[in-house]
Amino acid sequence: MDTTLFKLSIRNLKTRPIRSWLTIIGVVIGVFLIISLLSLSEGIKTAVLQQLRMMGKDLVMVFPGEISDVMVAMTGDLKLSDEDIEAIKKTKGVENVVPMAWKAEVMGYKGEKKTVLIYGNPWKDALEIYKRDMGWQLFQGRWPVPGKREIIVGDVVPKDVFPGMKINTEATIAGKKFEIVGVLKSLGNKQDDSMIGMDLEVFRQITGERKGAQFVLAKTSSTYAADDVVERIKTELQETRKRRRGEDLPSFTVLSSEKITDIVGNIMGIIQVAIFALASIAIIVGGIGIMNTMYTATHERIKEIGVMKAVGAKNTTITMIFLIESGILGFVGGLGGTVLGIGLAKIMELYFQVHPIFYLKASASPWLILFGLLFSFFIGCISGFLPARSASKLNPVDALRYE
Amino acid sequence: MAMPILQLKNVWKTFSLGKVKLDVLKGVSLDIYSGDFMSIMGPSGSGKSTCMYIIGFLDVPTKGAVFLQQKNVSEFSQDKLAHIRGRKIGFVFQQFNLLPHLTALENVMLPMIFQKVVEKERETRAKQILASLDLDKRAHHKPGELSGGEQQRVAIARSLANDPDIILADEPTGNLDTTTGKAIMHILKQLHQDKKKTIIVVTHDSIIADYSKRIIRIKDGQFI
Repeated sequence: MDTTLFKLSIRNLKTRPIRSWLTIIGVVIGVFLIISLLSLSEGIKTAVLQQLRMMGKDLVMVFPGEISDVMVAMTGDLKLSDEDIEAIKKTKGVENVVPMAWKAEVMGYKGEKKTVLIYGNPWKDALEIYKRDMGWQLFQGRWPVPGKREIIVGDVVPKDVFPGMKINTEATIAGKKFEIVGVLKSLGNKQDDSMIGMDLEVFRQITGERKGAQFVLAKTSSTYAADDVVERIKTELQETRKRRRGEDLPSFTVLSSEKITDIVGNIMGIIQVAIFALASIAIIVGGIGIMNTMYTATHERIKEIGVMKAVGAKNTTITMIFLIESGILGFVGGLGGTVLGIGLAKIMELYFQVHPIFYLKASASPWLILFGLLFSFFIGCISGFLPARSASKLNPVDALRYE
Repeated sequence: MAMPILQLKNVWKTFSLGKVKLDVLKGVSLDIYSGDFMSIMGPSGSGKSTCMYIIGFLDVPTKGAVFLQQKNVSEFSQDKLAHIRGRKIGFVFQQFNLLPHLTALENVMLPMIFQKVVEKERETRAKQILASLDLDKRAHHKPGELSGGEQQRVAIARSLANDPDIILADEPTGNLDTTTGKAIMHILKQLHQDKKKTIIVVTHDSIIADYSKRIIRIKDGQFI
C-alpha cells in the first residue's frame, strides 16, 4: 500500500499538535486503566490459583458455618465439635483427618512481646499431608516432634514479626517455653507465612481450648472420588448432629480442593469482567474525544476537502485520510496507555515484592498488549467513521465556496 | 471537422432555496475544442461560476448533458467524476486554494497522489513543473511564505500536475495586482501556445477576457 495518505494524515495531525495530544491523552487514560487493571487482576488470579493448585486433589475441607460466612467461620467462635471430627474420620473414603485450631496468644522472644495467632496441628498425621499436598518445605532446621513443646514458624516470622529470630532458640507462648526448631519456605501468601505452628495436643494444654477445631482437613483415599466423599461427609455430619443435639441445621461447609479452586477461579473471572466493563467506559469516553476532534477537523477543513476533491480526490480517499487520522489518534493513545498500564502493573509488582501481602506477578501477556493496541486503533476508526463519512459526502462546490 | 473535446448540451442548473427554485443556468450549450483558449465572461450572478463547475465536473446539471470526448459524463458516479477531474482538468482559483500546511512542492504533488503516481515520479515531475514556472527556489516554502503571484503560480503548477487537457481558471487574477495579473495571464497564454492546452478562463474583466481567442458572454444563465 502507498504510504502517502498515511503521511498526509500525520501531517494534518501535526498541524494541530495540542488538540491531537489532548485527544490522545483521552485514549491513553482509558487504555491505561484497562491494561493495568487487567494485568494486575490476571496476576492476582494466577497467584491465587497457583496457591490453590499446590493443594492435593484428594483433600476435603470442612469448616463450621455456611460457605457465605467463611470469614466468620475463620475468625469467629464457630467450631466443629469432637463428635463432628469423629464423624468425619469414620466416613467411608476418608483416610486421614487433620483438625486444626488457632488462637491468639502473647508470644515473647528475647524480651519482645507480641500477640500472634498460634496454630495447633496434629503433627503426627498432619506433617505428611502438609508436605505432600500443601507444599510445605523446610527453609532451616527440622520438623517438630509430635507431643513436644516445639514450634515451627513461617517465612515472614523471622523477617517481620520477630526480626532476627533464630532456630534452636527459645520463645515463650502463654507463659510456657518453646523451642523454635524450624523455619518454613515461603508458601506464597503473607497469612500462611506468618504462621506459628505447634502440636495440637500441646496447643490444647496451653490454651485450654480442649475440644474441637475450627477447621478440618480430610485426606481421601485414592480409591474414592473426592466429590463423593464430600457428599458422604455432609450426610455423616448431618446424622451426627441430629442424633446428638436434635438439630439438623447444616451449619458446616464441606468442599473439595478442586471445588474451591473452581469457586475462586469463577469469582476472579467475574471481577475481571467487571473491571473490563468499567474500564471500557473510559475507552469509550476516549473514543468520543476522538469523534469530537474529528468533527471539528472536518468542519475546519471543509475548504481543503473541496480543493482535494477538485484536484481529483475520490470520496473514498477523503474517507481514508480522515479514518487514518482518527486511527492514529486511537493507536498512539493505545500505545501510550499500554506502556503506562504495564509500567504501573510492574511498579505494583515491585511494591508487593517489598511489602508482601501475597506474591503478585503483573501478568502482561502479549495478547493483552496486542489487544490494547488493536482495540484502541479500532475505537479510533469507529469514532472517526461518522466524521470521515460526513467529510467525504461534502459537495465539492459548496465546500470550495465555504469561507 | 474535429470533434469537440467537451460539450454542454442544453444544460440547466436549478438550485432550490427553500420553496423558491432558482434557475442559474437556463439551457446553455457549448462546444469546446482541443486547443481552445476561451473566456466565459459575465457579471457576478450571471451563472458563470456554476457553468465553470459543470465544465470541470465538480457539479452535475439538473437537466441536459455534458460530454467529454463523446462520453456522457452526467451519468458517471462521483468517484469516477473525481478520477477524470483529476486526470483531465486542472483548476486555477481566484483564492489560489493551496493547502496551507503543505509546501509548494507537496501542493503540486497532491493531484498526483490521487492518480496513484508513485512517490519518486511525483517528486521529479512536480520539481520539473515548478522549475518551468521559475518556482524551483520556492519549492519548500509553504503558501503563507509566498507572495500572491507566487501562490497563483504554484496553483498553476498544481493544475498541470497530471498533464491535463483542459485548464479551468476562475478569475485567476482577481486577487492580484495588475502587473502580477498580467504575468499570470501570460503564463496561461504560454501554456496554450507551447503546450497546446485547452484554456478556459472565467472572468468579469474584459481585459483578462481579451487574452483569449474566443469570448462567450453569459447573462442571467444564458449565453448571449
